[in-house]
Amino acid sequence: MQPSGPAASRLVLAVLALAAAAPARAVPAFARKYGTSCLTCHTVFPKLTPFGEAFRRNGFRFPGVDSDYVKQEQVALGQEANKKTFPNSVWPATLPSSVPLAVGVLGAGNLSPDKTASVPRDNNGTRFSLDDFVTEGQIFLAASLSDTVTVFGEVSIADGGADVEHASVHFNDLVGPRHLVNLSVGKASATLSSFGPHSSYAGGLAIPDVPVTAIYVDSGDPFALSGNAKGLEVNGVYQGRFHYAVGLANSNNGFGGTFNSENWYAAAGYKVGGMRLDGEGEAGPKDPMRPWAEEALTFHGFVYHSNEHFADPAAVGVAANDVSFTIGGGLRAQYRSAELDLGYYRQSHNRAFFDPAGALGKGTDGAFFGELSYVVYPWMVPFLRVQRITLHPSGGTSVSDLHLMPGVALLVRPNVRLVVAGNVETANGFPQDGAGAPLGWQGGSGDTGALVMTPGPTSTPSTKTQEFESLLFVFAWAI
Amino acid sequence: MRRALLVALALAASAARADGGTISGKVDATPPKYLADTVVYLKSVPGTHPPRTHEMDQRGLKFVPAVLVVAQGDTVKFLNHDNVAHNVYSPDGEAYNLGSFKQNEAASYTFKKAGVYTQLCSIHPEMLAYIFVGQNPYAAAVDAKGHYVIKDVPPGTYQLAVWNAAKLKAPDKGVTVAAGKTVQENIAIKR
Repeated sequence: MQPSGPAASRLVLAVLALAAAAPARAVPAFARKYGTSCLTCHTVFPKLTPFGEAFRRNGFRFPGVDSDYVKQEQVALGQEANKKTFPNSVWPATLPSSVPLAVGVLGAGNLSPDKTASVPRDNNGTRFSLDDFVTEGQIFLAASLSDTVTVFGEVSIADGGADVEHASVHFNDLVGPRHLVNLSVGKASATLSSFGPHSSYAGGLAIPDVPVTAIYVDSGDPFALSGNAKGLEVNGVYQGRFHYAVGLANSNNGFGGTFNSENWYAAAGYKVGGMRLDGEGEAGPKDPMRPWAEEALTFHGFVYHSNEHFADPAAVGVAANDVSFTIGGGLRAQYRSAELDLGYYRQSHNRAFFDPAGALGKGTDGAFFGELSYVVYPWMVPFLRVQRITLHPSGGTSVSDLHLMPGVALLVRPNVRLVVAGNVETANGFPQDGAGAPLGWQGGSGDTGALVMTPGPTSTPSTKTQEFESLLFVFAWAI
Repeated sequence: MRRALLVALALAASAARADGGTISGKVDATPPKYLADTVVYLKSVPGTHPPRTHEMDQRGLKFVPAVLVVAQGDTVKFLNHDNVAHNVYSPDGEAYNLGSFKQNEAASYTFKKAGVYTQLCSIHPEMLAYIFVGQNPYAAAVDAKGHYVIKDVPPGTYQLAVWNAAKLKAPDKGVTVAAGKTVQENIAIKR
């Protein structure tokens, strides 16, 4: 029996979420540019080493003078001395002599030992599926225009078409000491922590999403913290230990596509021990065979304001909007090759949940997430990821979904990745629609960490359910 | 009579060269890719130096050589052996612009002030060369492996310095040059 109605749409959304949340991988364009291995910046990609995080934070630049490390031949679009004759000359820049592109492929096969779990139930009872084994192709672009201006882009190509997921220009070191004031413009993910958005071995995203309007009102383009958004961000690092970011973002609009989402955010963090956040003045790892290892503690926090628009379920052709405010924070404790990431955020919404009367109303949601990992070898990292999403409709019943993901991330080659991860989901109830019927869970952390539990034929909003959803085999490569 | 005079002048010039010493060595750069645009020079040598004329060509949209070492008062003749027009200008020091010139045309400029002059072509902004104008002629650009030789240096004690286009640096070194002798000085330049 084919899934139909809400079940089908949820399945489609899950697949779309898999595609849309597919993270940037290792970017071989950088490897070519600097003539360096992926392992300079990654353990099992896309997870970054402390140096890789510094490179990302510096606007995709090496510490020191970036061009010192560039081995790819550059075409000069003017010379440094042209600055002296500006405005009679164009401000100089450089261009890589070869097109700075890379390609990647991502997908996942899944095995469902429990035939009654949501995934096989919504997938014709199939226990083993390779349908998503090649889900997405990616084209990356990464280049420097000068020692301070860099560009980064990613186009994903999936069944739904092509999407410019990421396209940003980074103007670094604008004023003051190096790394203090940088501006990024374009489409990118907001800086909400001290680490990259894909800083996870298990899930595609370090910070899980709670797409409340997708859950409750079937918004096809819900606001999500992790989503790449068009906007601009000012960020920087002060004295190598403190970082900040403030930004404006358009984010997602599910209705009409012309609304200004009025999104803004701010984040800050502080690192104690280990490599500086900007990677400057690094003395090198204690153990040169374990360049990823350090002893450090990093704290960070953020706030995010969003005004999302979507189709009002109560009136055809009319836009509704939900203003949400998120406050969250987290920490990373690293002791040599062991790493523990913890985080929590709470979102308040003014119009995203169904109230007991069946109308859109207020509510809050929360997400706790943690990941423990240990780099056994540079190509083998076992991990355990935990996510717990809670939904609190104002005046209604709170429900939660706990997601456990034990697994191992492997590098078959430095640019070929295999992740094997279990997905065990425990729902303490289901969200309910305006008529009181149970709805499926959505959100989580992207490709390997999506919440997929759907109510069974006899489920009610208060049904407690535990399912071994799947054993995922994520396969990705980039070249 | 005239031949005798020429022979006498040639002998005098030869004797002057024999009176000079040589400074040679190797420059190591970190990062090595910036080694090419490096000049080793003596900071201050008393006396006057007869002006000379040098050539810098433009071939295949490149200045040749990429680094030219001259002395204050010397003239550089800029050639164009490309079949496209070129321009030569520099925003540095005396800031000159020699206009544009066609294939096989040339333009000259006499450098009055010491310094490093970036050579640019307004028609082809990627083109770049450096003219190092020393206070004296005792300077040399390094070769591809970093070797340099400064010949015919009058005996004396001097400060040996290095200039690098990427601003890699090394402390000045004191060198004493003796007639007919060679002083070996290796230099490491870095940020």
